[in-house]
Amino acid sequence: MAVGSLCWLLAVGTASAHGGSLAAGGRESLTIPTWLFLSTGGAAVGASFLLASFVTDRSFVERVHAWGTPLVDGEARIPRVLGRAIGVAGLAAVVVVGFFGPTTPRTNLAILLVWVGWWAGLAMTTYLVGNSWRVLNPLSTIALALPSLDRTYPDRLGAWPSVVGLLALVWLEVVSPLADDARLLATAVVGYSVLTLAGSVVFGRETWFSEADPVDRVFRYYGRVAPVSRAEDGSLRLRLPGMTLSTPRLVDGADEVAFVVALLWVTTYDGLVTTPAWRALTTPLVSAGLPPHLLYPFALLAGFGLFLGVYRLAVRVSTRTAETYLAPDELAERFAPPLLAIAAGYHFAHYLGYFLFLAPALGTATLAPFADPAAVPVYQLPDWFGGVALAAVILGHLVAIWVAHAAAFDLFPSRLQAIRSQYPFVAVMVFYTMTSLWVVSRPEVPLPHL
Amino acid sequence: MTQSDHAYDVPADAPVFECDYCGRPFARERWLALHHGLDHPNELDDDEVTAFRKAHEDEEDSLGAFRLQALGALVAIYFVLLMIYALV
Ligand SMILES: [Zn+2]
Repeated sequence: MAVGSLCWLLAVGTASAHGGSLAAGGRESLTIPTWLFLSTGGAAVGASFLLASFVTDRSFVERVHAWGTPLVDGEARIPRVLGRAIGVAGLAAVVVVGFFGPTTPRTNLAILLVWVGWWAGLAMTTYLVGNSWRVLNPLSTIALALPSLDRTYPDRLGAWPSVVGLLALVWLEVVSPLADDARLLATAVVGYSVLTLAGSVVFGRETWFSEADPVDRVFRYYGRVAPVSRAEDGSLRLRLPGMTLSTPRLVDGADEVAFVVALLWVTTYDGLVTTPAWRALTTPLVSAGLPPHLLYPFALLAGFGLFLGVYRLAVRVSTRTAETYLAPDELAERFAPPLLAIAAGYHFAHYLGYFLFLAPALGTATLAPFADPAAVPVYQLPDWFGGVALAAVILGHLVAIWVAHAAAFDLFPSRLQAIRSQYPFVAVMVFYTMTSLWVVSRPEVPLPHL
Repeated sequence: MTQSDHAYDVPADAPVFECDYCGRPFARERWLALHHGLDHPNELDDDEVTAFRKAHEDEEDSLGAFRLQALGALVAIYFVLLMIYALV
């Protein structure tokens, strides 16, 4: 994994940088056996479902979800122009410094800006505060100035190109040294930009970014977990975090359900491939002659298939436990958005330590992009930090349980039926929690076989 | 809520109670009564209002029974974990 390898590199490069990998911190805080730790996490999720089921006052649930207060009316022009300028400047910096800047990963602004500033930092602000990528997205700004052929986007494609795009981007991030090689990163950014701009010229900017672009969709979906959201008329509104996720039609169609599951899976996969267990499991396969270049994409697809299959199975079982005549696809769409809270919790667990550790390096590189200092400032994480990661994983699940509870109350006339509809989903969430906790609690090792 | 809002998948030989106002099918008469009261409160006749009240009371009773079971499960989870932590 590219980000992990940057961590590893820094950990090796700086004398006492054990805190660089969040997973290492998580493991140190463990004084109980792993099976007990995982069972406790799973039990916490199950118990919170039982607690949520005590809240059966429909009007109370609706009040909690409807609570909100307007922040800004209409689109403010100056922040928007400023935001777009910052986005374009960021892209320019990544390309220029990527090609012409220092070649040491931890002093190169392009690498730090993409992985630390954007993929860790900006993504975190997206689910903690709100989606600013909508304005910052430099490609969307550049596309404004380009002509459009306005070809009709094939309806049956829907969100599938973004599902494939997301899996492809994560595969690239994991197997290639994108976090070590600034030139390669800049090349990849240019390639992705050309592809995206070509798409928006052919099918129109709005259509391309709302349907096919995986990055825009990732940020848009993470933004739905956030307290600040945008109403139809463009005004900003403050709500309780995660409450937007119970809105009907937030996820529409099997393609968008697949994207939510893909987002959940790739955050897990990212961590999974750097666990010692992955190394132990795949070493015999590779020595038996399986090419590593096939192993990684195969595992990525197989895991995605497994996560999607487990979710679809839960939906099937749910139509039975709830004895509903609603089509399974209806349930699949309605109960997919809560999974975004889980994905956000896991992303936070995975990247917060990484972000804090390298944020000073990013600051230094921003001030002097072409300097190549021998020593890079980093932030040493305190020992208790691993606990924050575990808390984030659990908290993501708690929000998901509550939101799914509210969505079920909205969907079914009988409250008992609503509670029963959640049994299979809770089982799936317990499975996801235990998987994520297990990955987070493993020490991080360099990617094997590549 | 209208029929066109949702897709349905009704098995051929299953009992069906359909809403006269929006056409949504339910597996139990009681759920139809609850649906009437929740989604069409201003359109109901007296019989349907009575049926909703009755269904609502029954629902409260079964929720009460469910809460007891849920409480039991919570206590069980708590003590099992407590015992394991005491032993490990
Ligand atoms: Zn109806």
